[in-house]
Amino acid sequence: MAVYSVSQVAGYLKDVLRNDPVLPDIWVQGEVGNLTRSAAGHAYFSLRDGAATLRCVMFRGGGIGGDLIAEGSAVIAHGYVSLYEARGDLQLIADIVQPEGVGELQLKLEELKLRLEKEGLFEQSRKRAIPEFPKRIGVVTSPTGAVWHDIQNVISRRYPLVELVLAPALVQGDQAAPTIVAALDALGRQPDIGVIIVARGGGSLEDLWPFNEEAIARAIFKSTVPVVSAVGHETDYTIADLVADVRAPTPSAAAELVVPDRVELTATIAAQRRSFTTLMANQLIGAGREIEALRRRLERGLPDLDSLRLRIDDMLRTAASHLRHRTDVNTERVKGLTMRLESLSPRDTLRRGYAIVQKRDAIVSSASQVTSGDVVAVTVADGGFQAAVTDSSSPKPTPRRTPKKKTPTDQVSMDLFGQE
Amino acid sequence: MPKKTKPDDLKDLSFEQALKKLDETVQALEGGELPLDETTKLYEQGMRLANRCTELLSKAELKITQIQTAYGGGGEALEDETLSGDS
Repeated sequence: MAVYSVSQVAGYLKDVLRNDPVLPDIWVQGEVGNLTRSAAGHAYFSLRDGAATLRCVMFRGGGIGGDLIAEGSAVIAHGYVSLYEARGDLQLIADIVQPEGVGELQLKLEELKLRLEKEGLFEQSRKRAIPEFPKRIGVVTSPTGAVWHDIQNVISRRYPLVELVLAPALVQGDQAAPTIVAALDALGRQPDIGVIIVARGGGSLEDLWPFNEEAIARAIFKSTVPVVSAVGHETDYTIADLVADVRAPTPSAAAELVVPDRVELTATIAAQRRSFTTLMANQLIGAGREIEALRRRLERGLPDLDSLRLRIDDMLRTAASHLRHRTDVNTERVKGLTMRLESLSPRDTLRRGYAIVQKRDAIVSSASQVTSGDVVAVTVADGGFQAAVTDSSSPKPTPRRTPKKKTPTDQVSMDLFGQE
Repeated sequence: MPKKTKPDDLKDLSFEQALKKLDETVQALEGGELPLDETTKLYEQGMRLANRCTELLSKAELKITQIQTAYGGGGEALEDETLSGDS
């Protein structure tokens, strides 16, 4: 007989539950009771019908429809049955809660949604930004519907610089999903597509159903360019919407999202034009001021021609007066010299009563030059006359100094000589 | 001569390129500290770019192409191409 520990039994039970054909993936219908929400945000509740109760827990962020869990509400919950070893409780770990009465299709959809979400297809972090100025825009929709028209109109009005590339597809019915996948594939092979719009007008839940198919979700997910979904109206969320990079409420809204508005662009360009025109004008004004300032500095640096002219004039005048003065002085000097010269002239002396005596044209300045009987010419101030020498009183030369006795002239000159 | 090549360059620019260049031109002008002849050149370039952008915006006409898909639809034969206004 084998004896097991409690833990061994609990572990064994967990294995049994995990390998059961039904319990790991089960939908359970019942009424919510004993609801408590923990501080961590988990919801603990019971599902019960008239005869039985099943403990349930939905962990925070552990699934969808958590907000539908309310005391007394009739729900269908999906999850797996497990054993909580610490308490020995059997419980349903719920991941989807839907209101009672929802069809099988919807329940399957919720399951798919949960699966794809866990796989990361709806991850916000993988959502790509739409290019600001796409060149070509792919459109997956029906070529005959109003949707295609609306998209053309909006793009044509807002930003007709693009090329719209229509990849026609069926948008309702059983055949729709494969054609949508094919259209996405075809656009994927086109060059220069910047963004793809997958669009369909509003309709019943059944009409929109193709956009809930896994194949479409995967095709959108693997698209190399961003996808904008616009399926149905604002309130309808399909799986395509959840996978798409951007979800637009309507096809027209999708068209507005993918292109800029040329009215705004024109305004922006006009503003830039004004901006750089102002900049240009300011620089020109600045340059003008600079030139003006430089001109003023230049003027300050230049010599003052008028005052220069005055200075030159002044100097000329000074020079002229100096010259005149010098001339006057010279004139005076000449006059003075002339007077002095005149005073030295013998005429003046003669006027004072002196006379010049000449003997044979030689000036007689010594008595020894003449002897009695000589005729001499006498010049006085106003004329001249002849005179005869009657007596001469030249001093006698000393005897020892006269070895020779010749002419009286010799005697005179000897006398003069002796006087030296 | 730049006078000859520049307008031709502008003609080849897409709207996005012209707008980007315009933006850069305005930024360069706003940066200031440029000599006057440089500013004048940038100003003229900015004017030409702004004109080019506005012209592209006002003259463009939407181009539409339909491609072949599994759904059929029509393929390239159904192309309804309208040439855009620019050269």
